[in-house]
Amino acid sequence: MSMRKWAVGVAAGMLAVTTAPAVAPLGAPQADAQDDTGDRTVLRLGVTQSIDTLNPFEAIMASSTELMRLTYESLTMPSAEDMTPTGALAESWDTSDDDLTWTYTIRDDITWSDGEPVTADDIAFTFNLMMDDPDARTANGSYVSTFESVEAPDPTTLVITTTEPQATMLSLDVPIVPEHIWSQVDEIAGYGNDTMPVVGNGPFLITEYRAEEFVRLEANPDYWRGPAEIDELQFRFYRNSDAAVQALRKGEVDLINRLTPAQFDALSGEDDIEVNQAQGRRFYMLSVNAGAATADGDPLGNGHPALQDIAVRQAIARALDRDVLVDRVLGGYGEPGTGYVPPIFADLHWQPEDDQAWNFDPGAANAQLDSAGYERGPDGIRVTEDGDRLSFRLYGRSDRNADTQAGQFVRDWLAEIGIEVDLEIMSGNRMNELQKAGEFDIALSSWAVNPDPNYVLSIQTCDQRPSAAGTGGTTESFFCHEEFDELHAQQLAEFDRETRTELIHQMQRVIHEQSATIMLYYENALEAYRSDRFTDFGYQPADSGVIREQLGYWGYYGATPATNPNASASGTSTGLLLSGGAAVVIIAVAAGWFVTRRRRASADDRE
Amino acid sequence: MTTPTSTRALTWQRRARALRTGWRSFRAQRGAVAGLAVLLTIVALAVLAPVLTDESQLGIINTMSNPALAPPSGEFWLGTDENGRSVLLLTWWGARVSLLVGLAATLLSVFIGTFVGIVSAHFGGWLSAVLLRFTDFFLVLPSLVLAIALSTVLSRGVGTIVLAIGLTAWPTTARLVRAQTLTVQARPYIERSTALGAGHGHLIAKHILPGVLPLVFANTTLAVASAVIAESTLSFLGLGDPTQISWGSMLKFAMDSGAVTNGAWWYLLPPGLGIVCVVLSFTLCGRGLETVLNPRLRGR
Amino acid sequence: MSDLLTPGNQLTEEAGEEQRPARGGLARYLASKLAGALTSLLLVVLLGFFLFRMLPGDPVQTMTAGREVTAEQIAELRERLGLSDPLWRQFLDYLGGLLQGDFGDSFRYGRPVGDIILERLGPTILLAGTATVLAILLGLWLGVRSAWRHGSRFDRTATGVALTLWSVPTFWLGLIVLMVFAVGVGPLPGLFPTGGIRSIDPPPGLLPQVLDVAHHLVLPCLTMVAVIFAQYQMVMRSSLLEEMGSDYLTTARAKGLREDLVRRRHAVPNALLPSVTLIFLHLGLVVSGAIMVETVFSWPGLGYLMVNALEYPDLPLMQGTFIVLAGTVIVMNVLADVVYRFLDPRVRAA
Repeated sequence: MSMRKWAVGVAAGMLAVTTAPAVAPLGAPQADAQDDTGDRTVLRLGVTQSIDTLNPFEAIMASSTELMRLTYESLTMPSAEDMTPTGALAESWDTSDDDLTWTYTIRDDITWSDGEPVTADDIAFTFNLMMDDPDARTANGSYVSTFESVEAPDPTTLVITTTEPQATMLSLDVPIVPEHIWSQVDEIAGYGNDTMPVVGNGPFLITEYRAEEFVRLEANPDYWRGPAEIDELQFRFYRNSDAAVQALRKGEVDLINRLTPAQFDALSGEDDIEVNQAQGRRFYMLSVNAGAATADGDPLGNGHPALQDIAVRQAIARALDRDVLVDRVLGGYGEPGTGYVPPIFADLHWQPEDDQAWNFDPGAANAQLDSAGYERGPDGIRVTEDGDRLSFRLYGRSDRNADTQAGQFVRDWLAEIGIEVDLEIMSGNRMNELQKAGEFDIALSSWAVNPDPNYVLSIQTCDQRPSAAGTGGTTESFFCHEEFDELHAQQLAEFDRETRTELIHQMQRVIHEQSATIMLYYENALEAYRSDRFTDFGYQPADSGVIREQLGYWGYYGATPATNPNASASGTSTGLLLSGGAAVVIIAVAAGWFVTRRRRASADDRE
Repeated sequence: MTTPTSTRALTWQRRARALRTGWRSFRAQRGAVAGLAVLLTIVALAVLAPVLTDESQLGIINTMSNPALAPPSGEFWLGTDENGRSVLLLTWWGARVSLLVGLAATLLSVFIGTFVGIVSAHFGGWLSAVLLRFTDFFLVLPSLVLAIALSTVLSRGVGTIVLAIGLTAWPTTARLVRAQTLTVQARPYIERSTALGAGHGHLIAKHILPGVLPLVFANTTLAVASAVIAESTLSFLGLGDPTQISWGSMLKFAMDSGAVTNGAWWYLLPPGLGIVCVVLSFTLCGRGLETVLNPRLRGR
Repeated sequence: MSDLLTPGNQLTEEAGEEQRPARGGLARYLASKLAGALTSLLLVVLLGFFLFRMLPGDPVQTMTAGREVTAEQIAELRERLGLSDPLWRQFLDYLGGLLQGDFGDSFRYGRPVGDIILERLGPTILLAGTATVLAILLGLWLGVRSAWRHGSRFDRTATGVALTLWSVPTFWLGLIVLMVFAVGVGPLPGLFPTGGIRSIDPPPGLLPQVLDVAHHLVLPCLTMVAVIFAQYQMVMRSSLLEEMGSDYLTTARAKGLREDLVRRRHAVPNALLPSVTLIFLHLGLVVSGAIMVETVFSWPGLGYLMVNALEYPDLPLMQGTFIVLAGTVIVMNVLADVVYRFLDPRVRAA
């Protein structure tokens, strides 16, 4: 029957088509096949956030930024000890009296990995590229926004002139690229920078990259601080943190971060695994719409008018039990929120006096609302004098797990003081849009603070509100307060650390009193590593800090392998051969059986 | 000519008889009966949840004294979640949203499908051609992909999930209804009605719909099963409303909070088994109904 | 099973019944099918473009969320991504690009979407292809045996197991499989990797590397097979049952043919037709069916790409994957029609 032939043909054809790709990608010779990993020390990271690009001018995701810091040394680097600026490419620096001209002395003993020397020209090239080409400003443009000129009068001198004093001149987190490579790049936008090995000058050099699979970096033998103790660093990508945790347990990776409290607890007691609870740079807050307006003061959006009353905002701040939030949302791994700058920056962090603090006190909150004239309506919800119910929209992001949990707590607590909350969890995209348009009442929000807090402070100034056309500005929630703006301008021009710290404290006091930004908590960074493979890392800050996602490369650079020779990186070979072999055999047997069976004349499974 | 009342009485008698025969044939299938029993139990439990359980224990500020992610114990038979809430209670209440979304989405899709199916089969001409083309187009679209896209675009909420599933699941119903309508229309009594001057409305309401509805009903039962799975999938991808407790959102939270790593099987298993039970029961019932309606399938 | 939001229908629908092509010249038939497919493709492009443009919010805001950016940077980024052009203009640009095989540049990766999709197509085809072949083999085999021993304990068990697995949400099954076989439960050690497609340091040599990929493939493949084999089993079972009552089988038996020969030579080949059509209809769908499996097992394929693009959100990439996934189904449908035409003797004879 021709029909049968067809069926067999189709089946065989399909088999061939579907199994071909299994072999095809591997059939190609593997030029990158590594020599035996036995005597190489490899630090394998389980990473849950994928990377966007290896182009340092475009990389904006945290993992990519981290990769770029490892590959390209920057001008200065936040120190491992306390994140104060320390020398990197620049060994020393000097400023003019008006703080507008900065002169950096560049080290003369650093080379690129292809042997070319690193000079001030490379640095000037990088900054000038960013100033000239908008595409090159994608990732780090904010650092050059006040730059007037960048020049390299000689190979060890760099002079940067700015139009106004810039506070971040010693924390320019910009990867410096080799001029002799990048001057050949025609178009920065979309340039993959994936010619392996990538020419860099950092402690590690990228040698292989497979999207969503891994990035391989090898220690730079000529690194100017001296080569790292480990030979190789791998970023292995996992879709979710649970998969990464399981990989750590099995010894497939050595170090993971961004753990949930439950994962951290689960890993705490395990053999050969050490956990690291570090202070984080991130704070969570409620952003209150206390009267959205444009930079000219024209009202915007549809925020609830009652939130323009400071009494309502302060009552909300008092109705929240931050200890419970820390306990439940963070599993105890965090601190209740007080000042705007997180306590990891010990000197910049500000705390209210105890009698000024917004301690959990529903009674006081109720009393404050009573005396401000918000009577409870028949349904227990308070009303304004105009008869508007105190019913607020609370928005949170669906991709941030904590928002759902914290949002429910806030909703239930505010119900206790006669405020109705409609909690809506939405995509980050939609939330940005609503927040930008002032069409919200309260939003759950979060920021990570850099050693120089100028940026997170600036998003609370009047100037950052949008123009009349509704565009521009990077305001967080349309906060605008005269005293705050004055303090902000003063601290920007103040280069004496102590005086500036005091000004920043004052700014936090204003934020606290105004309660348009209600601090919830500071989250700890939770990490875990294989203690049978590594004994120590470079923490930042040194006493209570993180290993991963630092503002620097200290974590991996300072990784110390365990001396136990038995713990080898490849512990899966037996299982691999067994089960991989079994899988291939099963597939082959099944396919063979299917085909040959049709040819056999007699059958053995008689009914 | 008989009087209208007696016609109606006759019709009802005939329908009651058909129903009895159908029930007998349904009852003969063990799987279908078991499915129906499980389903009725679950629906009853879900409906009675507010009476039988303490709803306040779902509020996370009321469970602050309970241990988080505690394994099953005498107090919490299925352990607790990351907020100290009883997983048993969550699963119980989760059934409500999961079933509600499943039913609502199915109703929506069956409504659209039936409408498109009947219209495209009954009216013919360019309208039919366009509708058929349209149905075919939606039929080949990968529905999960489209549902993901839709629920991303619309704002979060149970309504969105219902809409996303409803708007992607209707084409199969439409094809089925169209085929059945064509069969019904070929019967001689339709021709007689047309000859007697019956309008489209009368034809559809009195003859086509009754002929199509049983099949639609069987199809609905099967479609609920897929809608329940779709709900859990979309919620798991974070496209649902996380403030509503459903089986899908429970699984998402179990995943996000690291319950899997923690070996918290008591948090992962109940919602999943709930889905399997409901989906399997609906599928069994649907197959049973189809067998009743399509004697060709009987005895399989 | 989340790939097919309508399991019941797929299980019981008489596959191919609606697909029967009209009689007529082959060329005319093909032309009409192709025209239909082209219309569908155009609709997919339209839908893909405008649906994703309806996404609330400004992609640039999200791209830069949490970063220290200036207002000028945001404006420049908008300009660069072409988001400041009017919508119709953006669409025409997009359509023009598509005709030249250009899906635009990904917002996130800054690279051509076409290239990224091509990179991810391989892993998806490997996973979905292997799973489909295994599911077909398993499903057809079980279906034939079930139908032939119709009503037996084997039949009831096989049907029950298939229906139960069919009712399991793919991602949940994946999580359980991951927990049991990759992490290990109790005394059982984790036998398989927790995710990915290959080891970063693959053992040298071709065979060990194939084994390495196979090793990574086992769990995702197992999960996918478990959920999709039921449809082939049920269709095979019901179409074989239908054939079993046929006169020609009685004739064959009367000729003295052995029972298994009757089954193999006569009944099964004829009953295979609906299954083959179903297989081709599903070939397009399995690619999108891999979405949840890829998500759970970090398998670097198209589904994983799409879910990641959703989170970003990367408009051109989402449009690209949408068009490719839907386009696959449309193309496979045309193929299914053509194959059906060649296979069905009744149609072929015409």
